[in-house]
Amino acid sequence: MQLISETLEQAVEQLARLPGMGRKSAQRIAMFLLKQNDEQVFRLSRAISDLKKNIRYCSVCYNITDRDPCPICQSEKRKTGVVCVVEEPKDVYVVERTREFNGRYHVLGGVISPLQNIGPNELRINELIHRIRDGEQIREIILALNPDAEGEATGFYINKLVQPMGVNVTRIAHGIPMGTDLEFIDDATLTRAFAGRQNF
Amino acid sequence: MINTSLSLTNFRNHHQTDVTWGEHVNIITGPNGAGKTNLIDALHYLCMGRSFTSSSDMYVVRQETSSFLVKGAFRGSIRSSFEVACSYSRGDGKRLWVNDSPLERHADLIGLVPVVLVSPDDRKLTGEGPAERRSFLDALISQTSPSYLDDLIRYRKIIRQRNRLLADIHMHPDQLDLMLEPWDRQLTETGSRIIARRGTLVRKFQSYLEQAHQELAGSGLVPSISYRTFCDIGEEPEPDAGRILQDYRTTLRDSAGRERERRQTLTGPHRDELVFYLNDMELRKFGSQGQHRIFALALKMAQLYFYNDELEDLPVFLLDDVFGDLDPQRTATVMQMLLQHEGQSFITAAHPDKISGFSASGRNRISSFGVSGGRVEQTP
Repeated sequence: MQLISETLEQAVEQLARLPGMGRKSAQRIAMFLLKQNDEQVFRLSRAISDLKKNIRYCSVCYNITDRDPCPICQSEKRKTGVVCVVEEPKDVYVVERTREFNGRYHVLGGVISPLQNIGPNELRINELIHRIRDGEQIREIILALNPDAEGEATGFYINKLVQPMGVNVTRIAHGIPMGTDLEFIDDATLTRAFAGRQNF
Repeated sequence: MINTSLSLTNFRNHHQTDVTWGEHVNIITGPNGAGKTNLIDALHYLCMGRSFTSSSDMYVVRQETSSFLVKGAFRGSIRSSFEVACSYSRGDGKRLWVNDSPLERHADLIGLVPVVLVSPDDRKLTGEGPAERRSFLDALISQTSPSYLDDLIRYRKIIRQRNRLLADIHMHPDQLDLMLEPWDRQLTETGSRIIARRGTLVRKFQSYLEQAHQELAGSGLVPSISYRTFCDIGEEPEPDAGRILQDYRTTLRDSAGRERERRQTLTGPHRDELVFYLNDMELRKFGSQGQHRIFALALKMAQLYFYNDELEDLPVFLLDDVFGDLDPQRTATVMQMLLQHEGQSFITAAHPDKISGFSASGRNRISSFGVSGGRVEQTP
């Protein structure tokens, strides 16, 4: 096959590396960009390069942020004694959307998984311990980790370290999403919801 | 559950095949290599999400093409009608749909269309190692219980994670203990639930096995299954999961030294064994070939009877080349059972004359299909 343009080919290759993107979609996007005017394409490429240049990790909670510490860690309106532990920055946004949680966060950056060579030292677990020790006066840790084997193992590990320090460790309940019909719930979720049933 | 129609695209030697089935017994005949088993394998894909003849989806794609698609329309008692589809392509891998909406997990398909399969590979059940028997038991329970399948998937993951830690030769022993602890807790909790479920099932299954075996072999020898795990699960019909958990924790602690030497998980349901008996005689050691053959067939018939009682929908019964090495009397027994079975069944046979005698007696329940070179035609 004859290459039409090496520049185009490079753009397609880079786009195709993105998650959820195949070669065909990458080609479509590259062709779309070619038809846009210069200013539009420039805005996109600047947004992408700013992403790496400007975004950093908050030195307290390790969420992604433009300024350090992040707005949540700096906010005077948020409660200080309660910390919600999540796997990834995207989970902070999920919990924030509820507007129910008014404490602070701690982002681990993943979960324990020996198969992927991720142990506690690859995560921000020591940093969490420091926060508790260094006078943030944390009373409660809420574990909002995924309920898979790795999430459970990570929760267990943290609980074991943190509980002797006099901190109350809780975890979010798992069950049926609100506004969903029972018949559309997958079996595993429903089974777990049954196991965790409560008095009416 | 009834499979009303089946459509294959680039599936093995089928370029494009569409079949409308009968509601009871469907007999598929044709010469060797015509594509009879492929039809049954396609149905197996829609029930279990995988082939029963091939270890990899890749080999199922028709030569010189890059993807296959199987679609089937089903009718059941809870869901009156729905469609299941399964596709595979080299780039995208395997995908499953129910009514055009994609399934996120392969496991969500299992149990939707319950299935019992009889195939020439069944001889491995009684003749080969314990892994074959464990996987029979796991498939048997999984189709009746999504939570069991969930535990099983989780348990396998935990074992892999745990074995990786044990294999790390650079880790200090104290550090290893600390790292293993979160996995040990999940291992014992999930594992003891699996053991309790297996124990319960084996006990419940006994009467079904006796019935099936008696139909096939007469009342001379009584078959039984003994379920062996690392601890004593007692004699109750439903073993106590709490007590198994206690035993599991103790045994795991006691085997810590050996585990660290061998660098793998040594205690748990992944090492369970099922032992088959005829009266007091262990089948694997003393059984004749004929006894093996009948025992394996009885296991599958018992599975069918068990599902008939246990499930809301009758299972789809697939029999691949079962009559090849069966004597006329057993052939008659199996045919009789199929004709009495209220659910739907599919049989492949290379020699139609072996079963032609039954076509007359069960005319209104039998639909016949001829296959040659990947083409299917209904025959009168």
